[in-house]
This record gives sequence, structure tokens and C-alpha cells, in this order.
Amino acid sequence: MDFKTSPALYAIAGAVILFVLGQSVFFLVKAWKQGRALGIDKAKLRNAVTSSALFTIPSALSVLATVIALAPALGLVIPWVRLSVIGNLMYETTAAEAAMEALGHEGGMAVPVTDPEVYAGVAWVMTLGICFSLIILPFLAKPIHKKFMAASQKEEAAPADTNAPADEKKKRSLNGFINKFATPAIFIGLIGAFVARAIIGGGKPETFGDGAGVLSIITLVVAVVVSIALEVLAKKLKLTWLEPFVMPIGMIVAMVAAIVFFNVLPEDIATLEWRG
Amino acid sequence: MAKNTNKSYIDRVHSWGRISSVTALCALLMFPVAICLYLDVFPSISGILQGLLKLIPTYWTVAVVEVIVYTPMLGAGGTYLSFVTGNIANLKLPCAINAMEGADVKANSEEGEVVSTIAIATSAIVTTAVLAIGILAFAPFLESFTENALLKPAFAQVLPALFGALGAGYFIKHWRISFFPIIVMIIVLVFAPTMGASTLLFFGIVASVLGALFMYKKGMLDRVKD
Repeated sequence: MDFKTSPALYAIAGAVILFVLGQSVFFLVKAWKQGRALGIDKAKLRNAVTSSALFTIPSALSVLATVIALAPALGLVIPWVRLSVIGNLMYETTAAEAAMEALGHEGGMAVPVTDPEVYAGVAWVMTLGICFSLIILPFLAKPIHKKFMAASQKEEAAPADTNAPADEKKKRSLNGFINKFATPAIFIGLIGAFVARAIIGGGKPETFGDGAGVLSIITLVVAVVVSIALEVLAKKLKLTWLEPFVMPIGMIVAMVAAIVFFNVLPEDIATLEWRG
Repeated sequence: MAKNTNKSYIDRVHSWGRISSVTALCALLMFPVAICLYLDVFPSISGILQGLLKLIPTYWTVAVVEVIVYTPMLGAGGTYLSFVTGNIANLKLPCAINAMEGADVKANSEEGEVVSTIAIATSAIVTTAVLAIGILAFAPFLESFTENALLKPAFAQVLPALFGALGAGYFIKHWRISFFPIIVMIIVLVFAPTMGASTLLFFGIVASVLGALFMYKKGMLDRVKD
């Protein structure tokens, strides 16, 4: 039996996830009670629960799709824990790739991990790489939150002068850049690394799927085009329910396209990877 | 009594949040420890450090930026829960904003704090349930699924599919700042074709941030909406 499918590993993962689930239930109960104490209508609170649950389902399915997509290389247990606790679609895939590369696992995500030592190493790297926010949160969250609470109360007490001229210099301050563009720029750098590899990255000549080629370009183009088309469609026709489904549909359609083109194209073209 | 005032509720949330962050961190670290003990292996420390060296400069910097940027938007309870349960940008934050808009309350208000925490807690519970049900239902078929010759090309191309779909929204919204980093990374790959994505993303992030900063300072991003 493959060690990655051992029931004991599922039990370990289940225990960690149950612990975190308990925290969510605790905060939910406390916030609900406080909401009632503040006089917020029960129907309003119930509506927040219902709308959040419905809002979450499509995105949760895309998280599930990522867990399943990582499973051929890592099994289900590591991606399950990593995407249930702190995890994030982008970070986990990147972390898994970095860990495999550093631990000498050749072929990356295209090749299943069969060495328990590499498997455990990947679990360590993915866990330690992502946990920093939990280390700094106890120190930073309270002062930041209090500062903004005080600032917004002050703002409400003294409404802004709408006739004040815009200060162009202030508008382009470093703080303004950090607030508005730093996170998108970091995300684009991160996502772009995988996009660039799918266009021109090299792999091992004997491994299919680890380097850029006909199929990686087709998959990438289909994923981008389908996602953009769906996003435009959702915006133009005001289909707000469609928006959370855009990413999972784009990903699944692209994977289906990979299967179709692999079978339709002549073998030497379908398996062509220009840089190995 | 002071205990019943909202100020004291917020303070208590911060106390619970601090405890939940530390205990979640301990539970999370127990996961690789348990794997090592169960499989009776211990991976090479140098391999782990090499892997971490590629991640820490980016991930730990992003962690600081995220705590600073998201805390004002998520509220106290929402912040602690979001950082423990993850998927903030793509799930928890839009979910909290959606619930606060629906309830007509402002972030950083007493009501906003409550609604945001309820929304994020619900979202975390639903995500955990969907993942658990999906995985338990899927586990028995995984091998036949991934070993299926017909489906193999799809799993071999999972990264272009995932990042193409994930990136499309970012590229369309931030197309002005997207071209430069991608061109830089393509040039890097021309000279170092086998460079892994985890190393390449350093070049991407540095080029992306510096390029965006340059365009911002030159006023080329003034017309970009929030």
C-alpha cells in the first residue's frame, strides 16, 4: 500500500483540522452573542451566516480542486492540511515545488513522491514556510486594529472636507503604493513565474509535463481565455453568482483541453516540449 | 460592568485571538512531527533549509504586508480566524466584505466587527466541511483517477491550468504592471531554462514590485481604480 494513503496519516490530518474547526465555532458563538448584546437583529445575523456559506461554496470547491490537483504528486493528506490551515492556492503549490526541488525530487509536481523522507521534508518546508503570520499576529494585530478603530471613529466625528484640493504628492506616497499596488505586484510576480515556466521553461527530456511545450501553452491559453471570457460575461450580464466559479471553471476546462488536445494532436506534436 | 462593554469585548477578542494563534501554530507544527514519527524518517535538515531559503524571503515578507493590510479590513476576530484558516485574499476577505455590505455595517465599527467575524467563521467552517467531505469521498478513487492513462495529460498540466485561471483576473485588472515582470522572467528562462518556479519567482517579484513602483511614481498608475 502507498504510505501516502495510510489511515493513520488521515487521522493525524483530521486531528489538526478538527482543532482549527473548533476555533472557528468558538469565534462564531462569541460573535453571535455579542451581536445580540449590541441589539443586532437575529435575522440580520442569520443572513450573514447564510450568505457567507453560499458565497464560500464555489471558492471552497476551487480549493478542493487544488487539493486534488496536488494529490498525484503528494497524496491527499498534506494538501488537505495545508489548504485547511493558513493555506492558500498560490502559496501551497509554490511551496510544494520549492520543497521538492530542494529535497532532490526530480520532475516536480509531474512525478509522484515515493520516498517517505522527501514526503516528510515537503511537509516540514510547507509548514514552516507558511507559519510566520501566526508568529507575528499576536504582536501586530492588536495595535494595528486599535489604531484603525480610533482613526475611523475620529473620521466619523469630523467629516472630511470634500472641497479640499487633492494633494498629488501625497497621492503618490510610498504608503499609497504599499496600500494599493504592493500586494497585487507580489501576486503577479508569483503567478508570473509559473506562467513564464509554462511558456519557455525547461525540464528533463525523459519526463513529460515538467517543461514548456505544445500542451502547456494550450492549457495556459485555454485557462486564461476561458477565465477572462467568464469574468467579462459575469460583469456585462451582472451574473454575480458566476464570479466565484470563474477560477475553478477556467482551471477544469483547461485540464479537459489538455486531455482533448493530447488525444487529437499527432503524438510527436502533443508531447513536444521545446526545452526538454 | 466594564466586562459587558464593547471595548472589553474587543479586548477579549484580542486575548482569544492571541491564544488561538499560538495554539494553532503548535497544532500545525505537530503535523510534520507526527508524520516523521509515524513514517519513522527524518528528512535532511539541509534539504529543508534549502527549501525554506527559497520561500522565507517572499512568504515572510508577504506575511508582514498581509497582517498590516488585511487587519483593518477584517476586524479583530476576523483577522485572527482568517490567518489561522487561510485563503484570505481569494475567500475570507471578499466574504467578510460581502456580509458587511449585506448587513449595511462598516468595517472598524462595533457591528462590523461582529458581522465580519460571523462571516469569516462561517466561511472557515464551510470550507473545512467541503474539503473534508470531498476528500473522504474522493480518497478511494484517487489512485484509479490519477493513474488513468486518459487523465494523465490533465494532471501533468495542472500548473499552467491553475495559474492561468488564477492569474487571468490579476492580469486583466493589473495589466499595466503585469507585462514587465513576465518579460523579465522569460528572459531569465532563456538563459537558465531549468530554473524552478520557486527560484524564478524572486526575479518576478523584484521586477514586479520595482516596475510597479516606477510606474506609480511616474504617475502611470494614477487612473487605476481601487
